[in-house]
Amino acid sequence: MSFLEWRRFNFFDLKKNVDVGSINRALGDTNVTATSCGHGTIVICDSEGVIHLINRNFQVTTFQGYLHSISLVEQLKSLPFLVTIGEDEIGSDPLVKIWDVEKRDRQGNPVCLKSFRTSPTNKPIPASSLCISDSSNLMAIGFVNGAIILYRGNITRDRVLKQKLLRNESDPITGLAFKITSKRSHLFVATTGSILQYNITVKDKEEEILLDPDKGCAIGCSVLADTIQDFPFMVAKSNAIYCYTVDGKGPCYAVDGPKVCLQWFRSYLIIVAQDENTVHSPVTVSSTNRKKDKYVITVLDIQNKFIVFSSVIQEIIAVLPEWGSFYILTKDRNLHHFIEKDLQSKLALLFKKNCYDICIRIAKSQEYDSENLIEIFRQYGDHLYNIGDHNGAIEQYIKTIGKLEPSYVIRKFLDSQYIDNLIKYLSALHKQGVATGDHTMLLLNCYTKMNLFHKLKEFILTKDRDIDFDLNVAISVCRKSSSEDALMLAEKHGLHLWYIKILLEDHKKYLSALQYIEKLEYTEAYDMVTKFGDTLVQHIPAEFTQFLKKLCTNYYPSNTLLLDQDEQQNRYQADPQDFIYLFLNNSSRLVEFLEYLIKFSSKWSTSIYNTLIEHYLHLWYDSNDVTVKLQYEQQVLNTLQSSEINYDKNQALILCSMRNFKSGILYLLEENKMYKQILRYLLSCGNYQDVLCCCRRFGYQEPSLWIKTLWSAASDSFFPSDSLCEVLTVIEKENLLSPLQVVEIMSRSQSLTIENIYNYMLSILKTELKLMEEENTLIRKYKEETDRIHHHVKKIQNSPIVFQGSTCSACKNQLELPSVHFLCQHSYHQYCYQNYVENENECPACLPNNQKILGVIKSQEQNKDLHEIFHSQLERAEDSFSLIADYFGRNVFNKIEVNTEFTKQFQQATKNNIKDIKIDNVQINQYKLSTEIKSNKIKENRVQHNMSANTNLTLEANIYPFRESPTEISVEESLSNAIENKNFRSNTSTNPFDDYDENKNPFFDDDSQDNYEKDDNDYDNKLNPFAT
Amino acid sequence: MSYAYLFKYIIIGDTGVGKSCLLLQFTDKRFQPVHDLTIGVEFGARMITIDNKQIKLQIWDTAGQEAFRSITRSYYRGAAGALLVYDITRRDTFNHLTTWLEDARQHSNSNMVIMLIAKTAANVEDAFINTAKEIYEKIQEGVFDINNEANGIKIGPQSSPTNPNLPTDGRNKNSSSGCC
Repeated sequence: MSFLEWRRFNFFDLKKNVDVGSINRALGDTNVTATSCGHGTIVICDSEGVIHLINRNFQVTTFQGYLHSISLVEQLKSLPFLVTIGEDEIGSDPLVKIWDVEKRDRQGNPVCLKSFRTSPTNKPIPASSLCISDSSNLMAIGFVNGAIILYRGNITRDRVLKQKLLRNESDPITGLAFKITSKRSHLFVATTGSILQYNITVKDKEEEILLDPDKGCAIGCSVLADTIQDFPFMVAKSNAIYCYTVDGKGPCYAVDGPKVCLQWFRSYLIIVAQDENTVHSPVTVSSTNRKKDKYVITVLDIQNKFIVFSSVIQEIIAVLPEWGSFYILTKDRNLHHFIEKDLQSKLALLFKKNCYDICIRIAKSQEYDSENLIEIFRQYGDHLYNIGDHNGAIEQYIKTIGKLEPSYVIRKFLDSQYIDNLIKYLSALHKQGVATGDHTMLLLNCYTKMNLFHKLKEFILTKDRDIDFDLNVAISVCRKSSSEDALMLAEKHGLHLWYIKILLEDHKKYLSALQYIEKLEYTEAYDMVTKFGDTLVQHIPAEFTQFLKKLCTNYYPSNTLLLDQDEQQNRYQADPQDFIYLFLNNSSRLVEFLEYLIKFSSKWSTSIYNTLIEHYLHLWYDSNDVTVKLQYEQQVLNTLQSSEINYDKNQALILCSMRNFKSGILYLLEENKMYKQILRYLLSCGNYQDVLCCCRRFGYQEPSLWIKTLWSAASDSFFPSDSLCEVLTVIEKENLLSPLQVVEIMSRSQSLTIENIYNYMLSILKTELKLMEEENTLIRKYKEETDRIHHHVKKIQNSPIVFQGSTCSACKNQLELPSVHFLCQHSYHQYCYQNYVENENECPACLPNNQKILGVIKSQEQNKDLHEIFHSQLERAEDSFSLIADYFGRNVFNKIEVNTEFTKQFQQATKNNIKDIKIDNVQINQYKLSTEIKSNKIKENRVQHNMSANTNLTLEANIYPFRESPTEISVEESLSNAIENKNFRSNTSTNPFDDYDENKNPFFDDDSQDNYEKDDNDYDNKLNPFAT
Repeated sequence: MSYAYLFKYIIIGDTGVGKSCLLLQFTDKRFQPVHDLTIGVEFGARMITIDNKQIKLQIWDTAGQEAFRSITRSYYRGAAGALLVYDITRRDTFNHLTTWLEDARQHSNSNMVIMLIAKTAANVEDAFINTAKEIYEKIQEGVFDINNEANGIKIGPQSSPTNPNLPTDGRNKNSSSGCC
């Protein structure tokens, strides 16, 4: 019935005859009657009363224990004590001897510590079973009549052991075992007919429990499995091994065959049974056909439930677990060693048979390290996968999580038919917290693919556990399938970005998104606004503007209550500049926003104000309604004029001019004192009334405005004539432009008629005429005066002079001789004169005046040669005419000489009397000078006239188209008359110096005149551009 | 673990009907798809609470094969309850129930509570606990001699023998239980 067996493996190697016959030699011909092992020793007792102790090297120590025979032997497991029961003589009570195997006497034999007789009755009854607790505090002896004697006390030290008879005559005792835990002590008893248990925890209160009234066993067929807690006592019957707990029957393992011996080794149960099926077993047939009994040794792994060794073997006397493995003593006295294979080779064996589950069980029970265990799981998984058991495979793979690379598994299950398995694996990955974002995504995608939305929800909600997945991935995947879930997820984990994004993009719930933002902390809200502001402003501009107002002025999350004073200081204000761009297409909201801000505080940056102005203008520009337009216009102006508002004027100007916002431009230009620009702007607008107003307003600061106006009037055919008149009047009045220039400017116009400048020209000519008249009068006057002086000079030179002064000019007394007379009609007493003057050649009265004149002349003489100064002045001078005229006036171009020579001659000639002549000569020079200055002035005018005459010629040509008009002709005539006059005059007196030199300077010598002319010529050639 | 009563159960039925799985499900709350054949008798235990009393259940899971019948028979005595299991997908397992029932009656004491369990439809927990309730009621009614351990009932180490005449509540019987 081999099919009703556990699976078989071969985990043990049998090494035969390990003692090399040493036991056989020691035993000789005797029969083995009892065996035991423990404390590193195997003990064999024989029928002659001899005890053999065998150590690990199979060296045998033999000594005579009893005179007759030994029936039972027990070596303590951890103590060096040996207990034997035997007979020194036949028919006596069994004699118990306790030996100390480590203490030797003189012959080298162990010392017998104690020996006493034991018997439950008066008659000698052979003992059938012996059991000693490991602590050596309890000993039980069973007898063939069914009695059990329990000894309490340390069997080696206590002098007298307390004994108690536990059981009266009944079935023979076949096995005894102590099960001692920290709390309780039990004695298991096997008889031939039943299984009993005694609770021997408390002395003298031993309690008998019948575990199995039906079953008993033979001697040696019961064992205490000391490594198993629950059902430690095992009894072999012919059909099965029965296990017993302290309470009663436990499990049983069906193993066929009449059992001979039962032994426990580690976690293995060693069963020796007689082989009933010798004939059928091929192994036995081949092994031996001697007439010995065949035995089957079977090693069971109780925990894992399989047979780890099974073999047919010769007759066995004893199974001895010692030295870490177990040995069997066969009837022919050979010791065979069973060596357990190491774990690796066991596993290799199992792998070969694809028994992965067993592998895992073994590995776990042997506390195999986790890495190798995982390798087993993986191999198992691979195996299951290959045979098509994907569910099973995934179970195994799940166990590898943490060590095995998940992609190894995932790759295998990517096929859509294995999606369930994949989900299983992935959720396990997540549960163990080793999932990456990719795994999350894969899992969520699987869920959606399978339409497992409830699972998806369950997964993402993770109520009672931590998040074991990448939220971002989860949300993005969820979003594709059900945005509600994604929303929920985002909200739950505070992923505001996702939340709002989904609300806006998927649900189009702008208001709720805004409400959500309002609840956020400042920094978060700020981020959200920067990210989603454009969407919000597009859809819910009003609400969003309200929110921004709050954000930029006084932000606190909307779900917090009103804050107290301290916390109010911690409120946040965002920089509104960051949000302006949001309103680029929504000026009215922006204006609303900015107005609110400005109302709230005035300490904003210039760009805020600039933006406000810009958008005011934008609105102004866009609006069609007049009142609205006016309103905005007023607002812009208010903003511009407000002293608090710190806007950039230049930029504002640019903005105004971009929108052509007139009042703003004008205001700003005026602020910046850019009057020309104002004018230019006004002109470009064509608003001539304003142009004039502007000129009037700013003409004092900027006279060129008028000229500009004139220029534009000339080029602009629509320029109103009355305005032009005003311009011309101002130009004339202020003398801003020479008439010739005015005419020239006017002549450029295509549309202006002479009528427009008629009045102007008229008044100009009138003034000119008046001026000419005045000057002519002046010339006449000067000429007269010059003539008078000439006459006087002549008179002095040629006519006798009567000195008829009667008083001394110095002392005002009656003149008395000797007296000094001067030609200037001053007379002095000589003594007065001598007292009065230092220089006797001059009249003291006239001296200061003369010296002044002489000084002027001298200084002119000095300046005369400084051509460089003159040139530099000429270059710098605004009006070079007047400069040159000034030089002419000072007579610098003439050789000015004070006629010292003449004076000297004169002095020599009339040493006493003619001194006055000389003085007069100086006076004459003085006169000459003043006349020259005057005539120079006139000349200057003439030169100017000359120029204007030249230009008049061109003007005449230019005004040619108007000749046919009779009125114009008359104007022309008068003009040409005037020009002729001028020409005439300028022709007649082109060079007054020539005139003067030739006719009017009688004082010049020939030499000097030559010099002069020469100099003059030099001068003319080189410097005088006006010379004809 | 202290308990007021210890009840011993035996699970019987044809081979392959799921006896071992039933036990595994009850004791370990897990399901093993592939289970080795039971060789002999396996063993499990679990504590349950009935009427505020801790009751320890010791369960023998027997081999269903005919070959092991002699072994399993020896377990009937000493059991207070038997779970008779069949597989609703296999008619013959149902047909064999009479044999099992006869067997059980023959070898057990007359008071044993026998519960019929169809494998696939079974609520495992209820099956075990209702059986335990039944036994408990019988104890209360005084049907069981609780001092005779051969009945498969043992009084816990701490608790004193209860008054058998004590009225009990929670007498809801499982209608499907084949009480004998």
